[in-house]
Amino acid sequence: MCVLCGELVLNVHWTDQKAHDLEYGAAGGGEVQRNRRRDRIRRVQYANNILSFYGLNLADWNGSKYILSDKKGNQKIVGDLGEMWPEAQKACGRGLDPLDPALLEYLRAQDEHVHVHHDHE
Amino acid sequence: MSTTTTNKLPVDIITGFLGSGKTTLLGNILKEGGFEDASVIINEYGLAGLDHRLIRRINERTTLLAGGCVCCNRREDLILELNDMLNACQSGELSLDRVIVETTGLANPAPMLFSILTHPALMHHYFIETVVVCLDCVNGEAHIRDNQESVKQIAAADKVIITKTDIGTPEMADNLRVSVARINPTAVILEAADGIAPRSIFTPAPVSGLPWRQTPAPQAKPGKPEHTSGVRNIAIQFDEPLDWLAFGIWLSMLLHKHGEKMLRVKGIVDVGEKGPIAINGVQHIIHPPTHLDDWRGYETRNSQIVFIMRDIEPERIMDSLMAFQRLIGAHPEIQEINMNPLA
Ligand SMILES: Nc1nc2c(ncn2[C@@H]2O[C@H](COP(=O)(O)OP(=O)(O)OP(=O)(O)O)[C@@H](O)[C@H]2O)c(=O)[nH]1
Ligand SMILES: [Zn+2]
Repeated sequence: MCVLCGELVLNVHWTDQKAHDLEYGAAGGGEVQRNRRRDRIRRVQYANNILSFYGLNLADWNGSKYILSDKKGNQKIVGDLGEMWPEAQKACGRGLDPLDPALLEYLRAQDEHVHVHHDHE
Repeated sequence: MSTTTTNKLPVDIITGFLGSGKTTLLGNILKEGGFEDASVIINEYGLAGLDHRLIRRINERTTLLAGGCVCCNRREDLILELNDMLNACQSGELSLDRVIVETTGLANPAPMLFSILTHPALMHHYFIETVVVCLDCVNGEAHIRDNQESVKQIAAADKVIITKTDIGTPEMADNLRVSVARINPTAVILEAADGIAPRSIFTPAPVSGLPWRQTPAPQAKPGKPEHTSGVRNIAIQFDEPLDWLAFGIWLSMLLHKHGEKMLRVKGIVDVGEKGPIAINGVQHIIHPPTHLDDWRGYETRNSQIVFIMRDIEPERIMDSLMAFQRLIGAHPEIQEINMNPLA
């Protein structure tokens, strides 16, 4: 639950709460599994939009964990976002800051890229 | 209300500066009845005349965790006591329907939240219902001005009780309301004279009808000296549904990097489902997000989130959300911004 002290938390990270609630909620088993898988794929995509700025990459691992890797091929297994941010920080040697103007510029450039792409379609 | 709070016991935290009237208020509430099965945990020092069947005294014992963050520390004393109660409850020795924790005046509520919300056993048996902060009508303004802890407590509050209004003037209470609302526009503000407040102070305010929507933004107080506490807040609205996964990435990243400065994050998020998700965070700690069943009680269906922070310009939060908007799937708009609430 504490994103800083994530590794101490043995339970569902708050960012996974929705899937967690669904699993114990009304939805049927098969659909829950499919939603969960879809969510994990999307989360990995989104995270990589950001992590690529830092030369890092996230991938799903067995549908239960994630693998964080850097360009040198170092890999680290993390269970959720609470564990990922500290590991990402270690891997790139600095804090990942969503307020960093350089990161924001990078994201905006990605957006422009998307728009240009659409124009050609 | 939601799957995250059912079958869990409510824990209410009552805090406030030294001598702000916490014990007096609590003593009177307990007398009202309806608290027969409540347990009260108070600090060893605060002995002042509480009369209740189930008073537990604890000695503040904090375990500093690696990382050195002040909010992410474990209150071992509290954990032990809550665990004991749970055991007594399960063995049938104790009937328990609520725990009330009165803290010492200088306590930062965040480590208590952290202790309960991250403990592998406690997190399944307790939830934090309400954080109540007492603020002395006569001295509150000075406490806010001179004391960072007081400001942190107000930022963490769900409800702020302006106490001792019997010895203050209505003007003092009004000014204090303005000051509180400028630090924490989400707090419900109540007044108590002669140590009497309604027992309903522990009832959580509905997530609907967020206070900052009901009352217009407090006007700047003219003639007050510029103050540099650096606490600011911003309310941001999104009219289209947010992508919860992307928003979770953004918020967890923000709190990982800036949690010590993010005194509070509170609001409702439209994720395009039957009901919104209520989020509530204090520094690094996020309560389990609550999924509401529907939009009953809301005028419009949108997301509204308040951020209270120290030493971060609110515009930077906005800039970040703008740059992240393609990921998050919605365009943020500033609803209210409070650059210098203590000025
Ligand atoms: N006039 C007046 N006095 C009050 C009121 N509430 C508390 N007091 C007085 O203020 C003093 C402090 O009250 P407490 O209830 O002990 O305050 P506290 O916040 O529990 O104090 P600590 O635990 O020492 O931090 C006492 O002398 C109370 O009698 C009130 O509503 N009106
Ligand atoms: Zn922390």
